Amino acid sequence: MAEVRFEHITKRFGETLAISDLNLKIPDKEFLVLVGPSGCGKTTALRLISGLEVPTSGNVYIGERLVNDVAPKDRDIAMVFQSYALYPHMSVFDNMAFGLSLRKTPKLEIQRRVKEAARILGIEDLLKRKPRQLSGGQRQRVALGRAIVREPVVFLLDEPLSNLDAKLRVQTRAELSKLHERLGTTFVYVTHDQVEAMTMATVIAVMNKGILQQVGKPQDLYEKPVNVFVAGFIGSPAMNFFDVFVKSAKDGIYLDAETFQVPVPKERADILHKYLDTKIVFGVRPEDIYSPQYIVPGIVASPIRAKVDVTELMGNEFYLHMLSGDKQFLARVDARTEARPGQDIELVFNMANMHAFDPETQLTLLGNMGSNLSAGLISNASVL
Amino acid sequence: MTTASEVSDTRPAFSRIILGLRKVASRLPLHVILIVIALLWMTPTIGLLVSSFRPATEVASSGWWNAFQTPFKFTLDNYSSVISQNGMGRSFLNSLIISVPGTVIPVVVAAFAGFALAWMKFPGRNVLFIFLVALIVVPIQATLIPVLRFLTDVKLVGTFPGIWLAHTAYGLPFAIFLLTSFFGTLPKELLESAYLDGASNLRVFLRLVLPLSVPAIASLAIFQFLWVWNDLLVALVYLQSPSKAPMTLTISNLVSSYGTQWQLLTAAAFISMILPLIVFFALQRYFVEGITSGALKG
Repeated sequence: MAEVRFEHITKRFGETLAISDLNLKIPDKEFLVLVGPSGCGKTTALRLISGLEVPTSGNVYIGERLVNDVAPKDRDIAMVFQSYALYPHMSVFDNMAFGLSLRKTPKLEIQRRVKEAARILGIEDLLKRKPRQLSGGQRQRVALGRAIVREPVVFLLDEPLSNLDAKLRVQTRAELSKLHERLGTTFVYVTHDQVEAMTMATVIAVMNKGILQQVGKPQDLYEKPVNVFVAGFIGSPAMNFFDVFVKSAKDGIYLDAETFQVPVPKERADILHKYLDTKIVFGVRPEDIYSPQYIVPGIVASPIRAKVDVTELMGNEFYLHMLSGDKQFLARVDARTEARPGQDIELVFNMANMHAFDPETQLTLLGNMGSNLSAGLISNASVL
Repeated sequence: MTTASEVSDTRPAFSRIILGLRKVASRLPLHVILIVIALLWMTPTIGLLVSSFRPATEVASSGWWNAFQTPFKFTLDNYSSVISQNGMGRSFLNSLIISVPGTVIPVVVAAFAGFALAWMKFPGRNVLFIFLVALIVVPIQATLIPVLRFLTDVKLVGTFPGIWLAHTAYGLPFAIFLLTSFFGTLPKELLESAYLDGASNLRVFLRLVLPLSVPAIASLAIFQFLWVWNDLLVALVYLQSPSKAPMTLTISNLVSSYGTQWQLLTAAAFISMILPLIVFFALQRYFVEGITSGALKG
């Protein structure tokens, strides 16, 4: 049970900068998911906690202890690898007991802990098997079991679900959340899959190109992304972006995308007022686009017209790949909507959930209304 | 009487037999070629074996293929005389005394070195590795005089430890190269996982790297054993006492002193082949395993 803290962490591999001035506090007992595209530095961050990498500069703390010079085995952490890294020549029991026997844990205690972990994970009848006799899902459980028996203060998980098939992944996601609740330990989980991040995390940290972009609760990241990258990365399908001009009219201000114009709701208009006649990036999520017949109550509806390019019926909803002039965007509308490729149809943007970003800095223009940096989690302002 | 159902039951079985035959037929040429090559390859050895059981007069008067005509004349005399009178028994023991440590020492040293070179980070690691591997190209003849002088200085000429050292030195470059390469293919995460589990370098080596590398180590051990067992040159130069001569040396002496007594030479040669054959058959499954398993997936 411990918090983990990065203070001004920089990590280079030769000339390559993997992590740049990372400041992040992972509070005790949280399930933090580090998410970002490949090569963003998230796995390096995890390996810095484990001690498998040492920082080029900066400090890593586990609890109150500075662990820069502490060997991996003395950090009281356990890690689940993407490939599971089970010892192929040992039985499941021995795989799980290996760490404990190295630590001179009494035999009876080892048996108790391994059996308990096996019970939690439902692998009691596999203890005598070798890893090669197990399915992917079972191996994944053994890898988890090996971490659980150690009773570490921090669990590190490096893309543990990426080798499972889609169905098993959904199931294991739920089980991991349950496991986190049950163990009451800090989890640090690395993934490139924002769905995993959204579904399991109590806190998400988004990274890109070695730089921490935003930290916060999943819902906050979804609703109030601080920049274009986070806005585009969190949420599936991804947010649509349009280059627009802020224009003034007699009853307020509106966004002009040449092919369509949408009015800005009152409270956002006050903020965007100072960007009159400048170009900004307007963002709207596919799920904030409706077909006029199936509008839900409580939205700020602004109609636009666009051409249907491709349609994808998902059963419960309809993905419309739209063209507005040359600009492509995606709408996620009610499955009953009638739309055929080539047709010109009317859609409605919910402007209550609109996003606006500076095209230069890529930062949100909506300030507090659009973002919160979860000040407690990041200890200085250099994250952006 | 045959019922309709019986007829229909036999058909698939029949067609299965046809299919099976076709499969065999399609591979037949390959098998025939392989068998012919194997027979050609083995003919001299079979001749050697047959000759070793024939009396001296027969060997001198007719070729070994005549042995299968009646009356059969086979004898064990050649073996008993080679072992008792010509010191092959003692030489067999000497060969063992030389070959076992001459195999074990370099394999053990190479395993430690291979682990360090493959997995431990230290400055100059790559340079050291390249230097060691480059030693493979040094011809053994070029080293004979300097090594002999060195062994003389440290008073190890004509002793077993002296020749163990020599074989270790000659075997190490290739052994280190082979094991470093093999250890390097072990999944990195496996070792990292063990370090996180609390294992020291030594424990990772003993509990993880060694058990997972048995096929490579077994192959290396066979190579090294055969090389030392069959070595004549190193023994000839560094082991100057006849009482310590291995079989290769004794046989070569037999050739010069009994140049015409083929029956004794064939028996001696066969004695010298027994152990390598046993070693090979005992460890050959690791060869197969090394080729087929290949995967060390966790």
